[in-house]
Amino acid sequence: MPQDQTPEDPRAQVESARDAFEREFERFAALTAESAGLKSPDDPEVLLRDVSEFRTKHLGKKSVLAASKKLIGKVSPEERAAFGQLVQQIESDIVEKIERTEQSLRARVESLRTAREAVDVTLPGRRPHRGHLHPITVVRQRIEDIFVSLGYAIEDGREIETDFFNFDALNIPDNHPARATQDTFYTTDGYALRSQTSTVQIHAMQRRGAPLRMIAPGRVFRRDTPDPTHNPMFFQVEGLCVDRGITMAHLKGTVAEFLRRMFGERTVTRFRPSYFPFTEPSAEFDFSCFKCGGSGCRICKNSGWIELGGSGMVHPNVLRGVGVDPEEFSGFAFGLGIDRMVALMYGLDDIRLLFENDIRFLSQFD
Amino acid sequence: MLISYNWLRELTGTKLTPLELRERLTMVGLAIDSVEEIAGDSVLDVEVPSNRPDCLSHVGIAREVSVIEKSTVKSPESKAFATEGKASDFATVEINDPDLCPRYAARIVRGVKIGASPEWLTTRLAEIGQRSINNVADITNYVLHELGQPLHAFDLNKLTERRIIVRRAAAAEKLTTLDGVERALDEDMLVIADAVQPVALAGIMGGLDSEISSSTTDVLIESAYFDPDSVRRTARRLGMDTEASRRFERGADCENVLLAQTRCVELICELAGGVATEEAIDVYPNPLAAKVVSFRPARVASLTSVRVDPSEIKRILAALGFVEQTGGEDKITFVVPSWRIDVNLEEDLVEEVVRHVGYDRITSELPPSNFAGAYQPAEMKRRALGRALTSSGFDEAISFSFIDVAHDEQFELLPALRRNAGTPAVALANPIIDEAIRMRPTLLPGLLESVRHNFNHGNRDVRLFEIGRVFASSGTRELPEEREALALIATGSAREEGSVQSARDTDFLEFKGAFEAAIDAMRLQSLTFSKAAVKHLRDGQAAVVSLSDGTAIGTMGRLAESLASNYKFRQPVYVAELDLTALLASSEQPIQYAPLPRYPSVTRDVTLLIDREVSFAELAQFISDEATAECTGVKLVGVYEGPNIPANQRSITLRMEYRSDERTLRDDEVEAQHRVLLDATLAQFKAALH
Repeated sequence: MPQDQTPEDPRAQVESARDAFEREFERFAALTAESAGLKSPDDPEVLLRDVSEFRTKHLGKKSVLAASKKLIGKVSPEERAAFGQLVQQIESDIVEKIERTEQSLRARVESLRTAREAVDVTLPGRRPHRGHLHPITVVRQRIEDIFVSLGYAIEDGREIETDFFNFDALNIPDNHPARATQDTFYTTDGYALRSQTSTVQIHAMQRRGAPLRMIAPGRVFRRDTPDPTHNPMFFQVEGLCVDRGITMAHLKGTVAEFLRRMFGERTVTRFRPSYFPFTEPSAEFDFSCFKCGGSGCRICKNSGWIELGGSGMVHPNVLRGVGVDPEEFSGFAFGLGIDRMVALMYGLDDIRLLFENDIRFLSQFD
Repeated sequence: MLISYNWLRELTGTKLTPLELRERLTMVGLAIDSVEEIAGDSVLDVEVPSNRPDCLSHVGIAREVSVIEKSTVKSPESKAFATEGKASDFATVEINDPDLCPRYAARIVRGVKIGASPEWLTTRLAEIGQRSINNVADITNYVLHELGQPLHAFDLNKLTERRIIVRRAAAAEKLTTLDGVERALDEDMLVIADAVQPVALAGIMGGLDSEISSSTTDVLIESAYFDPDSVRRTARRLGMDTEASRRFERGADCENVLLAQTRCVELICELAGGVATEEAIDVYPNPLAAKVVSFRPARVASLTSVRVDPSEIKRILAALGFVEQTGGEDKITFVVPSWRIDVNLEEDLVEEVVRHVGYDRITSELPPSNFAGAYQPAEMKRRALGRALTSSGFDEAISFSFIDVAHDEQFELLPALRRNAGTPAVALANPIIDEAIRMRPTLLPGLLESVRHNFNHGNRDVRLFEIGRVFASSGTRELPEEREALALIATGSAREEGSVQSARDTDFLEFKGAFEAAIDAMRLQSLTFSKAAVKHLRDGQAAVVSLSDGTAIGTMGRLAESLASNYKFRQPVYVAELDLTALLASSEQPIQYAPLPRYPSVTRDVTLLIDREVSFAELAQFISDEATAECTGVKLVGVYEGPNIPANQRSITLRMEYRSDERTLRDDEVEAQHRVLLDATLAQFKAALH
């Protein structure tokens, strides 16, 4: 007679645990098959919690299955292997089904959550309010960057000057109209508001001598009544290159290079004879219209050319005046209006806007 | 200046069309503003450079065209005319002031019949914008536009004693000019007078009394050369600008005087009848010497890089009227034609040659590269400042440098501009905008005006900064003081881009923060702020800004109510102004790496109930002076004042951080030193824990 008696039939106990599981699992099984019934993301979350409880109930320490495992030792050795296998089989079935369910529910929860957190990507981004540099500063910086890369030093000087620096040193004759009080501002002490930044070139040549390469961007003043194309104050850049063997070819090459970098590779520059007291020979330069490329448009007044600035070979009197021997050194100089460049580049038709500081205007630039 | 194409063709036989001429003349330095076609002719509007008065006539332009086309200028067709008697039999000429009038020639035509001009003459004058008056006046005008020499016709019988005296006007003398205006003269002005009174303003306009009229029978034709400066001065002072003055003040041709006069007399005899005197009374005591310029042909290439054949150089200069005096391979001496007042130097001749060879013949190349470029020393600081300010929402403003006198005394100026107490601001002698006569001693008026402008256009959230020069008198008659200043202004709220929702309103601390962040971006010195009374700022919301050595360099705070109400600002406006020159002169703070802490820190928050008069700076300074080396930081958590706190006190919450570089501090170690620090602080400020 076998001595060991089992109070209950272990096999039946395990079988009943499986049956209980299968019965209760039905509602989850249906879910995995057709989970579309879940609308709110809360539903699967509740279900996930249920599944978790369900797992505890059927696989936890107090589950029937756990109790069944303890019976393995009590089963007769000849049955033990088969029984053990059965228990394991049932356990792994249950684990697999629950995990599959959980996984599917988790995926569902995730996709519902993702859907809920979807953003209308076309809504405007929240941008911090950014201010803007004045267009004159933007263009001035570009000009400076170009000339620094060409080996020029940037210089500036006083805005209120003596007649000597504003006129005499520039070979402007005593009777020249520019000296008249109708064209140049004077202080009550008889000083001139500089009418060109060439004043800076004279100081630089006095200080540094030749050879020299520099540009002087800055504020200048002329007695013009404000209108769409004039202001009594504007910004200018003047350039100077003095060395041995400098010719007009270098002037043309430099201005052309500058304008190509400013307005594009295809920009063509044209030089015309002109007159300035501080240069001889003198030239005005035009560049091919960047808008129409030369075929004629509103910006170039149908000529294909845009007038931009003045230039020439530094007058020997100017060189001598700063102690540079014109037989040894020669140089070129050029000047152009930054405000005019701004007006051209941005299509500005009334330059009075430049100094009104209207934020609707300023915010259109860099 | 208007040029008739037909007239030019008569003088040059040009084969170029008006549009071709436009291009060719532009490229030799005579820019053509427009070409207008009118009934069988074209009119070119020539922009004559101010140094080329010789081009202010058809013959002048013809000379340039002839060089372009390698042709010659034809003399106007002249006809023989009847002459009788000597001019000196009918009139006398004296020059009392030869410094202002080196040459005066008078010739007389008797028995003329004043009447209308023939149609060819009136048409030609009309084409170039000249009104017809009568035959004699029209002829003087015609010759002026043909040859460039201004002429004047007097009614000989209206000249008292038939005398011409060229002299300075007497004080308080008067002359009614042809335009009917009575001119008050002074002793600097040159006049043409008869025996008793002025009859013309020399080189500018004739007098009404001696004008040619329908009853005139004998005319005296004046052809003269007047000193350019004298004519310019007189014309300016009287506010006059005539065809004659425009030519004399830029420089007429002293040797053209008789030629033009003869041409005029010839046309009068032809068109108005009469008999001319055999010659003119020509008073020319000291003939002007011809200029001579020596020229090295090699200079053409050394200045322009263009190689021009010597024969071409000579052809161009000869065609322009330069006469070779002494020749040579390396050096040629040229006599400058009397009409070329602009040519004095070798370089001038180089330009003459190259402009006719063509500037397009000059190649284009960069100079040899042997220089290192360099920005201005502080440029990168300025750019960092601009970037920091724009990222805080400030737009860059630029305002006029001249401001209204109404701003005098309204603002406390930068310390550097207050050195000469009591000296006036720099004033303009000749302003162009009414009232804007001050060179600004502060940037603030410009920014306030800009805020008002933006308010008027419905923008109430405005943040602007400006960098620019400010000026103050030196106190002596030396050049004025110039400093570079930085100013900020902010009002309303800082917004998100493209959104209507406004973020929080700008207040003192937010404005101060933006200001400090911008200054910090330059990596110079951090600023210190101390309470102060500032004229243009509201009491209690005003600070003086200083460098770490205590030098005051600016102010910041809320705009004073009195100023705000001037501008009708109803919302708070915050302003700051700083001496950028002084700040940029301070040395850069180098970045020095500090090792990362190896042990954790312990923080202690403490809330103090403290007298309102104690500033945060004082409190922070005391704590940092008293703290142990292991107290590595004191930071502000918050400030509260209001309900539940006595009116004269406020509560300040601070966070103190303790850390050692050697080990992890124990709680009791921290507690001990924190207690000591706290007790000292409470005792110092009679504060309590809250």
